[in-house]
Amino acid sequence: MNLAVEEAIPRMVGEGKSPGTVRFWHNSNTIVIGCFQSAELEVNMEACKETGTEIVRRFTGGGAVYHDSGNLNYAISLRKGHPLVPGQNLQSVFQRLSEGAVEGLRKLGVKAEFQPVNDIQVDGKKVSGAAGSIRWNSVFHHGCILVNSDLGILGKVLNVSRVKLEDKHVASVQKRVTTVRDELGRDISTKEVQDAIVDGIESCCGVRVEPGDLEREELGLAEELYQTKYSRLEWNLEP
Amino acid sequence: MEKLRSADYKAPGGKLVRVRLREEQGQIRSVKITGDFFLVPEESLGKLEKMLEDAPLREAELRLLVDRFFRGTGAQGLGVSLDDFVKAILSAKETM
Repeated sequence: MNLAVEEAIPRMVGEGKSPGTVRFWHNSNTIVIGCFQSAELEVNMEACKETGTEIVRRFTGGGAVYHDSGNLNYAISLRKGHPLVPGQNLQSVFQRLSEGAVEGLRKLGVKAEFQPVNDIQVDGKKVSGAAGSIRWNSVFHHGCILVNSDLGILGKVLNVSRVKLEDKHVASVQKRVTTVRDELGRDISTKEVQDAIVDGIESCCGVRVEPGDLEREELGLAEELYQTKYSRLEWNLEP
Repeated sequence: MEKLRSADYKAPGGKLVRVRLREEQGQIRSVKITGDFFLVPEESLGKLEKMLEDAPLREAELRLLVDRFFRGTGAQGLGVSLDDFVKAILSAKETM
């Protein structure tokens, strides 16, 4: 249902029915694959069965990410033409809308930097990946931050292509990622990271982020999208 | 005689373009392109795959087709370019 809500909000924002929105959310053990990826090639199905990991496809491109309760997801939906992202260049959107997360992580003491195309890294290791789209009259950007995630399971359930690992000069996906906890050398809750990112967004974007719940119409659309798309094997596992 | 070809092609910048295609007498019968790149609008990838059906596996023709795809759809690639799609297809090796 989380990925259905992820699509419902930018659709509603684009229609002018919802305001510009920052959403924070969690998933239990799930691999979220990019819309152009092949589940068969990217995911270790056996390891998913063993670890109870679900597989869901999102509507944006980019690579597969592993979600668990130690992972914080954020999503920013703005109406097309919003002054924060006036252009239609996807790379500029990623860079501009990652600034809040980068700033939030830095406030916590993590030496985070945006790394094109769509990563936030600390000393060459990925701590967050982003994806996004420009559609439905909206600009959408979402990212997942590894806060306290179980990198052991991540390394098992994701198949990373040999070609890809060679490019990064590392032997496994596990060695090219890090967590906020590992960088700080202390336990940290996803709520603490969320608060820091809200601060980061407010200072980088010059906006005030106010807490709120999903509107009834957003939930209704998300429910419809879940029934017709995100709960279906043909969407999640094909091509 | 039909041949299956596949390639995992790494674009400059690190994004992966995976191609699986059926080839017969030097022509693409069908092609599936997957990967961790970005392409907006997302639905346009299906159009590119359709446009590539029955295309000869030759660089000049492929380049023309992919160029026509980008111009015709106004699609925006990130982490993948015209050049990457062409190189990924051409690098597909016979798998059986």
